[in-house]
Amino acid sequence: MLASIIASGLAVGAVYALIGVTYNTMFSASRVMSFTAGQLGMLGGVFGSLFVLRLGLPLVVGLVLMLVCCAIVGLITEFIAVRPVLKSLDQHLYVLSTLALALMIQQVVAVEWSTEPQAFPRVFGTGAGGILDEKFWLPVLTCAVTICALELLYRRTLTGLSFLAIAEDNFAARALGLPERNLRMASYALAGMIGGLAGFSGGQLLLAFVANGPLLNFYGFVPVALGGLGNNRGAIVGGFALGLFQQAANFLVGGIFSSVAVFMLFIAVLLAAPRGLFGGHLARRV
Amino acid sequence: MKTTRREFAIGTAASAAASAFSFPCPAIAQTEPIRIGWLAALTGASSAPAIGFDRGVRYAAETINATGGVKGRKIEVTTRDTQGDPTKAVNATQEMISQLKVHAVWGPTNSGESLAITPIMARAKMPNIHPCVIDSLIDPEKFPNAFRTSPSNTQWNDAVRTYCIKVLKVKKVAVIADTTGYGVAAAKYSTEALKKDGADVVYVANIDATQPDMTPDMLRAKNAGAEAIVVWSTSTGMDARMFNTRATMRWDVAFVGHPSMSSGEIKSLLEKPANWEKVYAVGYRSCSYDANGKLPPRNEEFVAQLKGKVELSDTLLWWVAGGVDAINLIAKAVENGSTSPDDIIKYWNSVKKFPGYFGDYTWSPTEHNGYPGDDVVMSDASSAKNGAFKLAPGYS
Repeated sequence: MLASIIASGLAVGAVYALIGVTYNTMFSASRVMSFTAGQLGMLGGVFGSLFVLRLGLPLVVGLVLMLVCCAIVGLITEFIAVRPVLKSLDQHLYVLSTLALALMIQQVVAVEWSTEPQAFPRVFGTGAGGILDEKFWLPVLTCAVTICALELLYRRTLTGLSFLAIAEDNFAARALGLPERNLRMASYALAGMIGGLAGFSGGQLLLAFVANGPLLNFYGFVPVALGGLGNNRGAIVGGFALGLFQQAANFLVGGIFSSVAVFMLFIAVLLAAPRGLFGGHLARRV
Repeated sequence: MKTTRREFAIGTAASAAASAFSFPCPAIAQTEPIRIGWLAALTGASSAPAIGFDRGVRYAAETINATGGVKGRKIEVTTRDTQGDPTKAVNATQEMISQLKVHAVWGPTNSGESLAITPIMARAKMPNIHPCVIDSLIDPEKFPNAFRTSPSNTQWNDAVRTYCIKVLKVKKVAVIADTTGYGVAAAKYSTEALKKDGADVVYVANIDATQPDMTPDMLRAKNAGAEAIVVWSTSTGMDARMFNTRATMRWDVAFVGHPSMSSGEIKSLLEKPANWEKVYAVGYRSCSYDANGKLPPRNEEFVAQLKGKVELSDTLLWWVAGGVDAINLIAKAVENGSTSPDDIIKYWNSVKKFPGYFGDYTWSPTEHNGYPGDDVVMSDASSAKNGAFKLAPGYS
């Protein structure tokens, strides 16, 4: 039982963590919590299944096409749902605009793809059925690789440092001549790819299913809130902790109560640390 | 001769009155088409049944019209796609009653929509037949115009319970359902009925259909000693995950329950085709193959008639048969009376063993559940061929 809790807990936790990173990547570039993050995860699974199983393309080609499509969806999010409301961030209109776009994505997928879960291709074909099955370790591996790649991007490249600059202080970055709009668009494209990778790597576990959108939207947001908004390390730790806690609750108290247990933990953590476990202290100008 | 405006107005009114009251209206009524409203969720979630029913509806209307119609009157089917949305179903119903002035309505095809439109139809005294399973949709006192052509939830439950206790002869049963309103209600009813019949319900769970790993609940059911698992869910993803988990656990427990377990969608979600064995879903004797691979004679002939005209490989035979029966039931009511609501309802109230392709329907003024309970059987879920299934082991 413990092995099952750890295997599936880490796997779903990795997917939640990647969706949390997707939220953060979009937030850092625009100060907007975009509720399309979960839909990007859902699209990763749907595009993967579409390109590889339905169209019969090689896996690598399918993966690349999925990344391109999710990046485009990320760009569309920035253009349609984020850019028009940036001037009035204090009114929180982005909640409406990004939720509306998320619903549109959901409806289009339901009509054009299917309302029923569809199969997702095997990637390596290892460990059929057991706890060593690739469906358990692939999301964890993908999460680790993505985090390493993001660290390299943010710490070792000029583009990455520019991302950090606009995340740190948008106005100062612009004053220094950084192309803020282009960097924001690039951030949204990057977020699209990370969200897509979450859905693709977890496809064998979650299947290519339209209902995964709202599910990932919520469970991907929990690690962000637990870990602190904009804090990727917090999102990773929060994602894995959530996955393990949820699976343990599934085993110990049953499916219907595990959601209640997750909500209770979520509320308890936020009561104890309102800015998340890894959130910084709020500086107040006096 | 000079005609004044007053004389002209009186003359016009008189001729209008003459045309309204003197012309032989019955002659028009006897040549106008029989207008049937068809409320179908043809797109969106849960569209698969309506697509199947629709093929039967079209086939039946074309067949009747090709042979001269009913008493010389053609069948005219007006379809409205409700998309499974109760609000759209209500709007379409209002349109059918007040604008299209249909003579009878067939549908909708899911219970959520039917719950919304049944009182509206009752107020308008609109003859209505539908295949929705929720028990409360049929009440001859509250809804004297509403008749059911499919089994009710209770009949499904009876078939599953009887199969577990009398055919599989299991004592310890687990009941697993999803967390939808339907799943929660079905699990509760099923548990109570199983206990009443002497079964030991060792485990009951409602699971979120998107839950990726079914191991926790399956493990609990196994540890509780379940010899069969009764499943009430419309989610094919949840079904497939449970079948895969059973194989991973190397457990040969039988699954018995909801017809969704025989859906073609499941095949692609299975890790191995063998994971679908020992799964028995609710089915119908009229649309089941016997040990020799034959359907009952009436439906053997029906399938032969449909060949080349109606596609059966991607749907279920009972859906197509149900669509044909619905149109035939309305046509027969008009043939035995007229298109007035009272005549149609009066005919349906007198129907005894109407020989349909889906079943032999019997209604009376006090019983509007028309499907014979004995014809609800269990099917071998993985045996689909031309939309029909093999009878589960234990039936002759």
